[in-house]
Amino acid sequence: MSEYFRDIASGVTTVLTGMGITLRHFFNAVKRKGDAGIDDDNYFRQVDGLVTLQYPREVIPTPEIGRYRLYNDIDDCIGCSQCVRACPVECIEIETIKVTKDDLAVCGKTSDGQQKRFWIPVFDIDLAKCMTCGICSSVCPTDCLYHTQVSDFSEFSRENMIYHFGNLTKLEAEAKRKKLEEEKKAAPKPKPKPKPKPKPVPKAAPGGAEG
Amino acid sequence: MQELGLAEQGSLRVTPDGENRIVIEKDLSSEEMILNMGPQHPSTHGVLRLECRTDGEVVVEAEPYLGYLHRCFEKHAEMTDYPGIVPYVDRMDYLAAMNSDFAYAIAVEKLLDIEIPRRVEFMRVIVSELNRVASHLVAIGTYAIDLGAFTPFLFCFRDREHIMNLLEWVSGARMLYNYILVGGVSHDFPKGFSERTGEFVDYFRPKAVELQKLLTENEIFVKRTKGIGMMPADVAINYGWSGPMLRGSGVEWDLRRADGYSVYPELDFEIPVPDGRFSDIGDSLSRHLVRAMEMEQSLNIIEQCLDKMPSPEGFDPRAAIPKRIRPRAGEVYGRAENPRGELGFYIVSDGKSTKPLRCKARSSCFVNLSAMKELSQGQLIPDLVAIIGSIDIVLGEIDR
Amino acid sequence: MSTSLNAWSDALSGFSPAGLPLGLLIIAAIPLVFIALYALTYGVYGERKISAFMQDRLGPMEVGKWGILQTLADILKLLQKEDIVNKEADKFLFVIGPGVLFVGAFLAFAVLPFGPAFIGADLNVGLFYAIGIVALEVVGILAAGWGSNNKWALYGAIRSVAQIVSYEIPAAIAILCGAMMAGTLGMQQIILQQQGEYGFLHYFLFQNPIAWLPFLIYFISSLAETNRAPFDIPEAESELVAGYFTEYTGMKFAVIFLAEYGSMFMVSAIISIVFLGGWASPLPNIGALALNDWTSGPLWGAFWIVMKGFFFIFIQMWLRWTLPRLRVDQLMHLCWKVLTPFAFVAFVLTAVWEIYVK
Repeated sequence: MSEYFRDIASGVTTVLTGMGITLRHFFNAVKRKGDAGIDDDNYFRQVDGLVTLQYPREVIPTPEIGRYRLYNDIDDCIGCSQCVRACPVECIEIETIKVTKDDLAVCGKTSDGQQKRFWIPVFDIDLAKCMTCGICSSVCPTDCLYHTQVSDFSEFSRENMIYHFGNLTKLEAEAKRKKLEEEKKAAPKPKPKPKPKPKPVPKAAPGGAEG
Repeated sequence: MQELGLAEQGSLRVTPDGENRIVIEKDLSSEEMILNMGPQHPSTHGVLRLECRTDGEVVVEAEPYLGYLHRCFEKHAEMTDYPGIVPYVDRMDYLAAMNSDFAYAIAVEKLLDIEIPRRVEFMRVIVSELNRVASHLVAIGTYAIDLGAFTPFLFCFRDREHIMNLLEWVSGARMLYNYILVGGVSHDFPKGFSERTGEFVDYFRPKAVELQKLLTENEIFVKRTKGIGMMPADVAINYGWSGPMLRGSGVEWDLRRADGYSVYPELDFEIPVPDGRFSDIGDSLSRHLVRAMEMEQSLNIIEQCLDKMPSPEGFDPRAAIPKRIRPRAGEVYGRAENPRGELGFYIVSDGKSTKPLRCKARSSCFVNLSAMKELSQGQLIPDLVAIIGSIDIVLGEIDR
Repeated sequence: MSTSLNAWSDALSGFSPAGLPLGLLIIAAIPLVFIALYALTYGVYGERKISAFMQDRLGPMEVGKWGILQTLADILKLLQKEDIVNKEADKFLFVIGPGVLFVGAFLAFAVLPFGPAFIGADLNVGLFYAIGIVALEVVGILAAGWGSNNKWALYGAIRSVAQIVSYEIPAAIAILCGAMMAGTLGMQQIILQQQGEYGFLHYFLFQNPIAWLPFLIYFISSLAETNRAPFDIPEAESELVAGYFTEYTGMKFAVIFLAEYGSMFMVSAIISIVFLGGWASPLPNIGALALNDWTSGPLWGAFWIVMKGFFFIFIQMWLRWTLPRLRVDQLMHLCWKVLTPFAFVAFVLTAVWEIYVK
C-alpha cells in the first residue's frame, strides 16, 4: 500500500518537474540563438532560447574546409585522370587530347608554372553521384579539383546535376584531334611516349596510382 | 493432474485434491493475427520489418526481416582500394561515422604495421568520443519519441547539432566525415577547435542533467521501461551482444578497456554498468541509463584528451598516410568500440592488389538485433516498441 | 441579471421571418463558427507554436506574419487531396465514422453557455447530457477503426473504446461532486451559484476544501477522454502509426482532427463551468474598485469562458509536450485503481461537507 502512494507521489513530482522544464523553455522562447558559425567565439555564449533558423534567409555559415559542391578549376587542370581513378563512385568523366607541339603555348601553364600537355574537352562531374568524400581533391596534383562551400544546389532535372568543366567546345575538340592525327602522320617515326603522364607533385596521397 | 479426454473447447481433468470432481477448462486462447510492422513504421528506426504473431495486443513472436537497406558494402569493398572504402564505412553506421572509420583504420593499420603519430591518436579519440555523444543523443532522443515524449527528442537534436557543427568544422562534412584515414586523419584541428570543444563540454553538462530530469526520472518513462525486455547477462553473452546492450545486462565489457587500443589505456574513465538501484539489471531502462552515463564518461575523455594532446607544432596529420596501400598477404581482424557495440572488420589481403580480397564487417547492431525473437516473446506491442528502441538499431549497419 | 439571462437566445429563437426558423439555425451556427475559428487559430496553430517554443523551435513561420495563415494553407492542401477509400474497407462505416465522431464532439456544445445571455439549449440536465453525449464519439471511432479494415486502425479503435468507456467513470463521479455542490445539473444554474462580488472566491474550487481532488480527477480523465497525451494510446504514432485514422486522407482526416480540437475545448469548458465558474468573472470587487461588476456582462462572459477554456487547453498541450505515453495496462491501472477510488473518496467527502459542514 505504501508503494502505491509512493508511486503516486513520485509520479506527481516528476511530472511537475518535467512541466517546469518545458515551461521554462516556453518562456525562454523570446530569446534566439542566432546564426553564429562554429568558428565564432560567441557560439556557445547564448545557451537558452530558440535554436532553429529560417533556412533560406538565415544560414549557419559553412566552415572553410566544408566539402560540398565539387568544383574543378579547369585552367589549372593538367588532365592526369588521378581523380577519376581515385573516385569510389566513378562520378568524374574525363576525356583528354594530347596537345600538339605548336599548341603548347596556346594551351598554357598552370598557376604554379607546370606546362599543360592535354586538352580536356570533357571533364564532367555527376554531382548526383558524388558523395563528397574528398578523395579526388586529396589526390589532385595541382589542387585544381576541390569542394566548395556551396551546399544547396538542387535541380529539377537529373541532367542538370552533371557539371561540365571541359575547356573545349565539340568543334574545337574535333579540330584538335585532327591536328594531333596530322602531327602523328607527319612524324610517325619517333613514336610518342607511351603515356606522357605528368609526374604528380610530391604530396601525401593515399592510394590512387594504378598498382 | 491426469488428462481424461478432450472436449470440443476444453479438456476434462481430475483435480489433484478431489478424485471425483471434473473441471472443464475452457480454451480461452483466441485466434492469432499476423501483424506486419514495418518497413514503413514510425518506430522501426528505418526500414526494419518485423512480422509479429499477435494474440490481442500480446506479441507471441516477432521475427525481424532485414535487407531493405542492403547496399553491398562487402562487395563494394572488394572492388575499391583501401582509402576508397572509408566513405562506404561512413555510410554503414551513419550516426557514428567517426567511430566506424576508427575501427576500419585500426584494422588496416594492423595489416600494414604502421606507426601512428601520437597527436593523431588523440585527435581520433576526441572526434570519435564527440561522435559517440552525438550518437547516444540520437539513441536517447528517438527512444523518447518511441515512448511518446517529443520534447526530449528535440532537445537531444539541438545538442547534437553543436557536435555536428564541431565535426563539420574539423572534417568538412556534417555526418559522413571520411576524416579518420588509414594512417592518419585528413585535416589538423582548426585554430580554436580545442577551446570550442571545451566550451561544448561545459555547455552540455547542464543540458544532460536537464534531459535526465525531463526524461529519465519521469515516472511514466520509468514505468514504461523498467523490467521490459529483460536480458540476463549469460544469454546476452551467448547472443554475442556488445556495447551498451551488454553493459546494460551488467557485464563490464568495453573494448576501449579490454583491447586498450589507441590512447585509451592512458585515459581515466569508468565503464558504466547499472547498479540495480534505479533499474532492473538487463532491462530497457538499464540500457538507456548506460547510454546516458556513457555520454558523461565521453565528456570526461574529451576533456582529458584536450589536456594531454601534444602541441600542433610541426605536425602533419597526413605524415603517416601511405602513398599507396598494398598490404602484405594475410588476414586481420580489427575492432573498436562503437556507440552500439563492437564493430569489427575482417580483412583478407592477397598481397598483390590495392584492393582487399575480402572485407567482412562484424556489425554490432546486427548481432544485438538477433536477440529480438527472444526479447519479444509475450510482450505487448507498446513494449515491443520500447525494446526495439532500447536496442538502438541503425539499419545502415545491420544491412550494410 | 437572471431576467436578462438567455434573453439573446430567446430573442434569436423567436426570430423567424416568413415562417422560416432562421434564428434557430443561427444559434446552431454560432458554436460551429466559433469552433472553426478556434480550431484554426488557437487549436492547430497554437498547438504548433506552443510545442515549438517548448522545444526551442520557431514553429510555422512562412505563411503570413509569424505563420498565422499556416493552418489555412494546410486546410487548402487537405481539400485538394485525393479522398481515398481503400478497396477492402467497409465503405459505409469508413465514411460515416468521421461524421459520427464530429457530431459527437459538437453535440455537447449545445448546452455550453457562452456567457450569461447565450446558451444553445438551457437543459435542466445539461451537465448529464454533456457527459453522456460524448460517448457517441466512441461509436465514431469504432466505426472508423473497423471500417478501415486495417490492423493498426483496429487496434487503435479497440484501445480507444476501452479507454473512453473506462474513463467515463472517474470523470462522471468527479463531475457529480460539482453537481452536488451546485444541487443542479443545469449549466446556467451551476454558474450562477459561482457568481458574486468576490469573484474567484465564489468558485466551487475555492468553496470546498476538497474540491481540488475531483477537479484534478476530472482534468486527468478528460485528457483520456479526448485521447490527449499522455493518454493518446489510440493514436499512438510510434506504436500504431496513426491509430484509428491511419487510413484517412484529405478532408475526412481534417474532420477527425477538428473533432479532436472540438472535444478538447468542450471538456475544458465543462471543467471551467463546474469548478471555475464558467463565464463568471474571476475579479473581485475591492471597495470602490468594482472590478467584478465592470467585467461582467454578455460579452465579458463569453470572454471569460473562452479564456478559461483556452487556459485548460494550454495545460493539455503543455502536458502533451512534456510527458511520455502510458501503456495500455498502465492506463487502465490509473483509471480503475487510482482515479476511481479517489473519485469515490472525493464524492463521499464532498457529500459530508455539503451536508454537515456547510
